[in-house]
Amino acid sequence: MKKEDTVKLISAEGFEFVIDKNAAMVSQTIRNMLTSPGGFAETEHREVTFPEISTTILEKICQYFYWSLQYASGKETEFYIEPEMTLELMMAANYLHT
Amino acid sequence: MADRSLFTELEHLESPLVRLCIEAATQSADAVESWRRQRRTLERLPSQLAEPLLHRLLRRRLLYPSLLEVFKYSVEKIDLRGESSVDAEWMAYLGAFQYLSSLNVSDCHRINSSALWALSGMRYLKEVDLSRCSKVDDAGIKHLLSIRTIEILCISETSVTTNGVALLSSLKRLSKLDLGGLFITDTALASLQVLTNLQHLDLWGSDISNEGASILLKFPNLTFLNLAWTKVTVLPNVSSVTHLNMSNCTIHSIFKGEGNKAKLSKLTFAGALFKDIDKAFSYFDSSYLSYLDLSNSSLRDISLLSLICALEYLDLSGNLVGDDSVTFIASVGANLKSLNLSKTRVSSAGVAVLVGRVPKLETISLDFTPTDDLAISYIGMMPSLKAVNMKGTNVRGVIQQNAENTECVLSLTALENLKHLEKLNIEETALKDEAIIPISNLKQLTHLSLRSSFLTDASLHHLSSIPNLINLSMRDAILTNTGIESFTPPPSLQVLDLTGCWLLTKDALLSFVQLHSDVEVRHALVTTFLSDKDDSKCHSPFMGTAPQRRFSSSPLKSEMAAIIDQRLKYSRAELLSMQFASTSVGPSSDPPTSPK
Repeated sequence: MKKEDTVKLISAEGFEFVIDKNAAMVSQTIRNMLTSPGGFAETEHREVTFPEISTTILEKICQYFYWSLQYASGKETEFYIEPEMTLELMMAANYLHT
Repeated sequence: MADRSLFTELEHLESPLVRLCIEAATQSADAVESWRRQRRTLERLPSQLAEPLLHRLLRRRLLYPSLLEVFKYSVEKIDLRGESSVDAEWMAYLGAFQYLSSLNVSDCHRINSSALWALSGMRYLKEVDLSRCSKVDDAGIKHLLSIRTIEILCISETSVTTNGVALLSSLKRLSKLDLGGLFITDTALASLQVLTNLQHLDLWGSDISNEGASILLKFPNLTFLNLAWTKVTVLPNVSSVTHLNMSNCTIHSIFKGEGNKAKLSKLTFAGALFKDIDKAFSYFDSSYLSYLDLSNSSLRDISLLSLICALEYLDLSGNLVGDDSVTFIASVGANLKSLNLSKTRVSSAGVAVLVGRVPKLETISLDFTPTDDLAISYIGMMPSLKAVNMKGTNVRGVIQQNAENTECVLSLTALENLKHLEKLNIEETALKDEAIIPISNLKQLTHLSLRSSFLTDASLHHLSSIPNLINLSMRDAILTNTGIESFTPPPSLQVLDLTGCWLLTKDALLSFVQLHSDVEVRHALVTTFLSDKDDSKCHSPFMGTAPQRRFSSSPLKSEMAAIIDQRLKYSRAELLSMQFASTSVGPSSDPPTSPK
């Protein structure tokens, strides 16, 4: 995996998730950060910090990105969400427009 | 079907992951238990997430009063209409909602005046709907008076009297007031004249007379006015009004004398009685009028139409107008989008007059008119049509060229010229199988309603080739079990109405239902299978006639509302698993009693 094709997402606790840029672009918010011409620091370093999103939630979000790509390509599986994390995940998803 | 409706409920949410989360959070009572103690997260929940979550819980029958508490910092709008379980206890919790701006508890029969006490003193409440809460009376209004922020208040068909309405004058911010179906008099209206912000006023069914109506002049911002079923005969010059409803009134004159500046755009005079229609309209500026409903007004002469050039919607159904009147319609047809001539004396010759004069017409209704197949060939020349209704007409589907010539032309072929036709209703006509054939060429058709006892399996077979059909109704047809077995529904089909097809047996219908589970089949034998609760729909003529149940206090109503549709309570997946595993316990905490 080439470095240009990945992005680093950093959770509130400082955990780093390196994922495909394509997957991260499922989120409209991240897409805007990475592609906007405004010269965001995020665009240059391909690194986004989410001080509001905890590690467990960010991990689930990353799983969702990949699931969503698979789903779009025709592999219709179920995306399981543990009921106890629904609220936090919902808020993160709302923020990320995903 | 239920699953589909739940899905559309969440559809406006942009984010698919949010949707998945809400579904997971409302999967079962256990799921709710796992998050309901996350107090700090719940407090931070934005209202655009909290509201769909709450309403989804409500639809899934997982919401109960004490659970409401978790939403008290997040929810701004709540819609509980028609929920029979909503009572004073619910209201007590709702009263604690910090930022509630809109509350709809219409048709919640258990709400009474004392239940409203919990709302008093709310700080941000702007909108309150108590329509048809018949136990709410003047005492309930007193509780609302402390909420100074109320702008929209609906108390139609409650037990509020003139005295209660008079109290409303202290709610200075009111802009919309629905007082429909209340027994209030001119005095009530007189006491409201301080409410100068009023824009929308509903007074239907009240005892307001001409004298009271003159008070309407005191409301400078009034744009919507409903005086249906009142004793008002002369409308004063309320110059701000754009939407007026005076259905079922005896109308002498709209506006009193010259000097009127009202720019009326929508007029509803259904079932009104005109003494002299030309005189009634004589002080009236029609240049802004786009919507005119004159149905069931016993009109013979509609020559006044020729003055109304911006007309888009015209309803003349149930009047005594004939072909000679159609000339007047044609003269104002340039902008017409919808025309209803049902139950008039207009015949095919009248329809011919419209050809070429109605370039924007999208909907035409000729139900129960003496029109026949010739009318269809004229309708084929109105290219913008999207919906054609010819229920109960003399349409037979074939035109005989002349008496001795036995060669016949299929009249419905003419509809193939209508490239936008989506809805076609030719119920209660004497259509035979061969006449149906041209319909299968209508590629855009989504809704088709047929009802003829001459139609057989052959018709059903022809119709299966319409690619976009969503709703197909073939009532009272001679369909056989073999016919339904060999029928392959178009992929988009959602509803198949086979009511009155008496030859079909229960087994044949059930095997069809199992084979095509995404099609909702309507038949006397199928409803009993899907859910016993559906039976109540068949037996009660009250369903779906909500606007007509004026003042009715039928015990049936509350009983019906109390019944929980099992299909709403469980998701489709759950229902399927129950069907195949009747002995095992269902996934939710309250297992359903499976039918033995």
